[in-house]
Amino acid sequence: MRRALPYVLALAAAFAVAGVFVAAMGFNVPRAYATILFTSFRTPAGFAQTLLKFVPLLLQALAFTVPLAARKFNIGGEGQLIVGGIGAAGAGILLAGLPAPVLLPLVIAAGLVFGALWAAIPAWLLYRFQINEILTTVLMNFVSFSLIDFVATAVWRDPAAGHPTTVPIGAGARLPLLAASPPLHSGLLLALLAAGLVYVYMRRTTAGYELAATGANPRAALIHGIAVPRIFMLALVLGGALAGLSGAIEVAGVHHRLIEGMQSNYLLLGIIIGLIARGQIAAVPFVAFFIAVLEVGASAMQRTMMIPAEMVFIVEALVLVFVLLSDLVRRR
Amino acid sequence: MQSAAPEPVVQMEGMRKVFGPVVALDGADFMLGSREIHGLLGGNGAGKTTLMNVLYGLYRPDAGRIRLRGEPVEIRGPADAIRHRIGMVHQHFLQVGSFTVTENVVVAAPLGGRLRLDLRSEQTRIRELADRFGLTVDPRARVEDLPIGIRQRVEIVKALYRGARVLILDEPTTNLTPQEVDGLFRSLRTMVEEGLSVVFITHKIREVLAVCDRISVMRDGRTVLTQSRAEGAEEGLVRAMVGGQLDTRRSVLFTGRDAEGAPAPSGEPVLRLEGLRADGGAIEVRRSEILGIAGVAGNGQTELAESLIGLRPDSAGRVTINGAPLVGGPAGAMARGIIYIPEDRLDEGFLPTASVAENLVLGFHRRPEYSRGRLFNRRAVLDVARGLIREYNIRTPGPEEAAANLSGGNIQRLMLARAFAHPSTLLVAHNPTRGLDIPSTEFVYEKLLALRAAGGAVVLLADDLDELLLLSDRIAVLYRGRVVGVRERGRADRYELGRMMSGVA
Amino acid sequence: MAEQLITFTGLVLMTMVPYVLASQGTMLGGRAGVFSVAQEGIMLVGASVGFLGTYATGSLTAGAVLAMAAGGLFGLALAYFTTSLKMNQFVIGLALFFTGLGLSTLLYKVTIGVTLTPPLIPTLPVEPVPVLARLPVLGRVLFSHNVLVYLTLLLSAALYYVLYHTPAGLALRSVGENPMAADSLGVNVGRVRYVTVIIGGALMGLAGAYLPMVYTGTFTEGIVRGRGWLAIALTFFGGWTPHLIVLGAVFFAAIEVLSFGAQIRGIGLPYQFLQMLPYLATILIMIPAFRRVRVPAFLGQNYHRERRTQA
Repeated sequence: MRRALPYVLALAAAFAVAGVFVAAMGFNVPRAYATILFTSFRTPAGFAQTLLKFVPLLLQALAFTVPLAARKFNIGGEGQLIVGGIGAAGAGILLAGLPAPVLLPLVIAAGLVFGALWAAIPAWLLYRFQINEILTTVLMNFVSFSLIDFVATAVWRDPAAGHPTTVPIGAGARLPLLAASPPLHSGLLLALLAAGLVYVYMRRTTAGYELAATGANPRAALIHGIAVPRIFMLALVLGGALAGLSGAIEVAGVHHRLIEGMQSNYLLLGIIIGLIARGQIAAVPFVAFFIAVLEVGASAMQRTMMIPAEMVFIVEALVLVFVLLSDLVRRR
Repeated sequence: MQSAAPEPVVQMEGMRKVFGPVVALDGADFMLGSREIHGLLGGNGAGKTTLMNVLYGLYRPDAGRIRLRGEPVEIRGPADAIRHRIGMVHQHFLQVGSFTVTENVVVAAPLGGRLRLDLRSEQTRIRELADRFGLTVDPRARVEDLPIGIRQRVEIVKALYRGARVLILDEPTTNLTPQEVDGLFRSLRTMVEEGLSVVFITHKIREVLAVCDRISVMRDGRTVLTQSRAEGAEEGLVRAMVGGQLDTRRSVLFTGRDAEGAPAPSGEPVLRLEGLRADGGAIEVRRSEILGIAGVAGNGQTELAESLIGLRPDSAGRVTINGAPLVGGPAGAMARGIIYIPEDRLDEGFLPTASVAENLVLGFHRRPEYSRGRLFNRRAVLDVARGLIREYNIRTPGPEEAAANLSGGNIQRLMLARAFAHPSTLLVAHNPTRGLDIPSTEFVYEKLLALRAAGGAVVLLADDLDELLLLSDRIAVLYRGRVVGVRERGRADRYELGRMMSGVA
Repeated sequence: MAEQLITFTGLVLMTMVPYVLASQGTMLGGRAGVFSVAQEGIMLVGASVGFLGTYATGSLTAGAVLAMAAGGLFGLALAYFTTSLKMNQFVIGLALFFTGLGLSTLLYKVTIGVTLTPPLIPTLPVEPVPVLARLPVLGRVLFSHNVLVYLTLLLSAALYYVLYHTPAGLALRSVGENPMAADSLGVNVGRVRYVTVIIGGALMGLAGAYLPMVYTGTFTEGIVRGRGWLAIALTFFGGWTPHLIVLGAVFFAAIEVLSFGAQIRGIGLPYQFLQMLPYLATILIMIPAFRRVRVPAFLGQNYHRERRTQA
C-alpha cells in the first residue's frame, strides 16, 4: 500500500493538471475523465479491445525495459515490431499451405528472429564501434518505414486494398481465438508468457544478475569479470526479439496480414510504460494495462466528445513526470 | 590548550553541516591567524575538508558564524570567497584537462570586462606570478599532458592569480615525492613572507610538525585541540586525532606492530610479472609476501593493477599466476582467485541500484555456492550476505536493502567485506585506505597483515609512501610505466625512493 | 552540368538550415553538459506553433518568434528538471519528446480542427542580397536565399566566435568539461545551463518552424521525419563544434537533396530504398565520427554541488 501511494498521488496530480487544459479548451472535464477511465469496463467489447491494446503495449514496454536494465535505451521497438511483422507475414504467406501446428510456431519464431536481427544491427554497432544506441535504434525505425512500404506495395501487395497492405497469411498462421465474441486472440497468452519468462530471467538466472549488475555500474561489472559489451548487445537483441514478437502477434492475431502503419504509437507508449514502471519488470504489466485503459478511453472520448485523442498523450507524459517527481520527494 | 594567538584573519564558530544522516560538522571552531601556516589535522571523515569547503562557499553551513578580519560575512558561493580573497586547492584537482594552463587559470576571471579573450597578455602574467613563488609552469601546456606535481602548481597559481590572501590546501602532499613536498613547503614559506595566510589540511602528523606554525586537530566534526607547534608533542596529537576510537599503543598504523616479525615469504612465486622491469628482470610475489608498488600517481599504477586482473592483457608485462599464464580477461582472473580492491571503490566496485547482497557477491557470483548451472541461487547469496553484514558491521536494515541507501563508511566496509571474505590466490589492492577514517584504515592494515600471516600474496599499490614503508616486504618503484628499482624492507630510504619516483635515480 | 551543380548547391544550402539550427541548439546545451534528446519533439512543436502563429497573425516573423518561444519553453522545462531537480537527462528528454509529439498535433487539431483541404500559409520568400546576388555563380549559390539561410550562417559564425574568443565562451565550455572546476572559480553553473538550454530549445523550435515556412506551407504529423534525431547525429559528426556542424550539415543536406531528387526522377531503384538513404548514410558516417569525436567530458551528467561521493 505504501508503495502504491506515490503512484496514486502522481496519477491524481497528472489528471488535475490535464483537467485544467481540458477545461480551458471548453470541454466537460468530469465527463471526459469518466469516458477515459470507464470505457474499458462498461462493455465486454470495450474490455476485449483493452486487452488487444494491452498485448503490444506490454511487449513494447518489455522491449524497452530489458535493455534499460543494462542501462541501454532501445528506442527502436517500432522498427523491430515492423520487421518482426514482415518476418511473420513472410512466413505466413510463403508457407501458407502448411498446417497450423507447423506454420503458427514458424510465424511466431520468424517474428522473434527478425525483430532480434533488426536490433542486432544497432547492438553490433555499439559493440564494435561504441556508437550511441539511442541514435541508431531510432534511425532504424525510419528505415523500417520504407521497408514495410516496399514489402506492402511491391512484394506481396494486395491489389484490392487502397492502403499499402499485403495479401493475407495462410489460415494456419492465424492465432486461435480465446473468445469469439467479442473476438480476443490468444496472443494475450503469448505476451503474458513472455513477461513471465523475462521476469524469471532477470530475477532468477545468473545472466539476469549480470545484466542488472551491468546496468547498475558497467565499469564495476567489467572489472569484476562480467563481459559488459556482450551484455549490452544481448540486452538490445533480447529487446528486439520481444518487439518482433509484438509484430508477429499483430500480424497473426489482429490483421492476418501486414498493414503499413500497424505499429501505431506503441513504441512511445511502451517507453512511457517502461519509464513509469521505473524499469521494474514486475510493475510493467500493470502499468501497461492502465495505459491500455487510457488509450481505449481516449479514442472513445474523441468519438463521442470531439476531444482530440492526443490529449491523453499529455496526461501520460504528466503521469510520468509526476511519478519521477514522487521518486525525488521520497529520496529526500 | 591555549596558545599565543596571532591576529585573526578567519574565525569560524560553531560550524555545523549535515549530509542526510551524516553529521559532518558538529559545532566546529577554527581560527586562522595572519601570516601563519595553520595545520588542520585529522583522520578521514573528521570534517577538515567539509569545514574548509564551507569557508570556500562550496557548502552552505546549517549553523555557525564566519568572520573575516573581524567582520561577520556570509559566503554564499565560491564567487563570494574569491571576492574575499580566499583561494582553495582541492585534493582532486578541479581542472579542465583539455584546456591549457592559461585557460584553466583565467576561467571566470574579471579580465577588466573585455569582450575578446586575450590569452597572450595573461600568459605573461601567469608566468611571472608562478616564478615569484617558485611554482614554475608553462602557461601554454595542456593540463592533461602535465604530471601531477605540476598540475598542483596550476591549482595554486589559479588561487594566487585571483589575489588570494588566504590559501587553503587540501591534502596537498598526497601525490608528491618527498623532494616535491620539500619544494611545496618552501613555496608556502614564500607566500607567508609575502603576507598570505595558509591552511594546510593533512592527516599526517609528521607534515604538520615540519611546516606549520599552529595546529588544529579535528575529530568527529569538532575541533578538539589547537596549539602552536612549539607545544606540540606527537603523542598528544595522536591522542587528539584518535580519541577513544582505537588503542594507539597496539595499532599497526601508529606503532608498526606486527608489520615486522611476520613469517618470511616462501615457496614458489604466486605471481610472476615479466616485461615490467626497466632492467629486464621479472618481478615475483611469493606466499606470505606483500609487494608494495610506489610511484607518483599516473606512472602506470592503474595499468599495472588492471593487467594483474586481466583487464589489459600485455599492457604492463606478461602475468603468470602459479606458473600458468593469466588468460580470459577479468573473468579468468576472478576464476584464478585474483581479488581486486580498486582505488575508486564507488566507480569501480559498487552497484548502487543493486541490493547489498548482490553487491557482496559481485565477481564471485558464478561460483557454485551462488549459482547452480544458469540459475542464480538467491537464498544462498542472502545467507552469506547476512553473515558478512554481521561480521563486518555493515549498518543496513537487511541484505535486500538497496545499496544506494548505505552511508559512505558502510559502502567502504561492504567493499572490504567482499574482498577479504573470499579466499584469494593474490590480492591486488590499489590505495585501499583512501578515504577511510582511522579505525577503518587500521582495520584494513590488520586484514592485510593477517592475510600475509596466513600465507597470502598481496600486491599493494599506494600513493602514500608511509603506508608502503609500514606494510611492504619489498617496494618496487614505478616511473613512466616501468619498475625502475626494488628495495627490501628496512633498506628503503624515503628520499632515495623519492628520487626513483621522479626518475632521477 | 555546371548549371545543375549551381542549383544543387543552392538547394543544399536551403535544406541544411533546420539541421544546422537544431544541431547548434544541441551543441550549445551539450557544451554546458546538458544532453537533450527532445529535438524531434521540440521541432514538431516549432513546426506546429510556427504554422499556427503565422496562420493566426498573418506574419511569418511572428510565427517564427512564437515557435522560438515554444522551443525555449521546452528548453526551460529540460533545464528545470535536470539542472534544478537533478533528474536523468535522457528520461526527461524522452518525456519532452513525447509531450512535443502529442502537443504539436493537439494544438493543430484544437485550432484548425479536421478539414478536407488544409489551410496554407505563405512560404518564406527568397530575398537576394543587394549587389552580392549579382555575382556570377556565387550570387546564386550563396546570396539568393530566404532570410533564415543567411541568419543561420551568421548565427553559426557568431557561436564560433563566442565559444572560442570570449571569456563567456571559455566559462561556458568549462561548465561542460568540469562543472566542479567552473563552480569553484565562481561560474554560475546553473545559470549557464539554463541559458544555453533555453537558447538551444529556441533554435530547435525555429528549426521546426522552417519546415512549414519553406517546404509545405502547412503542418502535418510527419513533417519532421526524423530530422531531430539526425540533428543529434550531426552534432556528434560535427564534434560538438559550431563550424564543423555547418560542414557536416552540408553532407546531411546533400544526402537529403540527392535522395529526394532521385525519388522524383527515378533511377531504377524502388523509391523506398532512396527514402532510407539519409538514415542509412547517417548510421554509416557515425562509425568514423564516434571513433574520433571528443564529447564534452560532463555531457549528460547533472551537477550537484553538495553531493559527496564519500561521506
